[in-house]
Amino acid sequence: MIADKHKHITDQQLLENFYSSQDNEWLGVLLQRYTLLLLGVCMKYLKNEEEARDAVQQIFLKAITELKKYRVEYFKSWIYMVAKNHCLMKLRDEHGKNPVELSERYLEAKDEAEDNSNLLQKDVTLDMMAEGLKELHPEQQQCVTLFYLEKKSYQEISGATGFTMMQVKSYIQNGKRNLRLLVEKKLKNKK
Amino acid sequence: MSENLKDILSNLSTEIDQETLLLYLQDKLTSEKKHEVEKKLLENEFANDAAEGLQDFRNKEHLATLVDHLNRDLKKKLHNKRTQRTKIHLKEYPWLYFAVILIIVLIVISYFIIRRLLNNN
Repeated sequence: MIADKHKHITDQQLLENFYSSQDNEWLGVLLQRYTLLLLGVCMKYLKNEEEARDAVQQIFLKAITELKKYRVEYFKSWIYMVAKNHCLMKLRDEHGKNPVELSERYLEAKDEAEDNSNLLQKDVTLDMMAEGLKELHPEQQQCVTLFYLEKKSYQEISGATGFTMMQVKSYIQNGKRNLRLLVEKKLKNKK
Repeated sequence: MSENLKDILSNLSTEIDQETLLLYLQDKLTSEKKHEVEKKLLENEFANDAAEGLQDFRNKEHLATLVDHLNRDLKKKLHNKRTQRTKIHLKEYPWLYFAVILIIVLIVISYFIIRRLLNNN
């Protein structure tokens, strides 16, 4: 789907090439890297194949216009936010719903990533994680163990436990979040 | 075991290329590869949202064609923008039109003068 000749160039470098030459070809290469992801995000929010396709085209247009106006540092995060905002605005226009403020959520996600790496730097964390794992809800404990420790796929876990794929995914996501909170709590208590 | 435990809180290498994601959605990966993709999806909000949405497409075999159409459309748009930009540039420099017309007029006048001189001789 993407021209092989550009695969070795990073997003950042493609953006730099565009800003320095103002050649749209660089923008094309960059945007094409995200076509499938944008289509998926639009489909997730709009729940309609036709509308999702149209939304991707509109997001492309918006990106082309905006990127010419100002410099973007982290393209991937930026285009993701543009896509989500576009879909939420479209939903608001259609159903009169208020859009959610996305920039704050994005910052929270970034903080969580930083927190996780901080937690991992502490050797003591591993023992606490093993303890915390035992304290999770049985479903979460089962799914997290099968996924992370036994390296099973969602499908295999679903087959082994009888949970639906969506349940498996949800137990893993929630289990992971709860485990993180438990480890943080244990670290605080230790101090 | 401890290395596997680390995976739960790790945030490393979460990039998934489009081809791999497509194969995952079309259920064409081994269990091991599937697990790798799912692990990355849990760390990558953008790709995770996208995978959830893409699962809802009726025909997942058709996704690659759909993406190709969108990419082709994008290329056309970018090409049109480039053409428009060139036109705008020309509009920004009216003296350029004037200079071209002047040169053409001079060439025509020179042609007639030379022709007349040759006829006189």
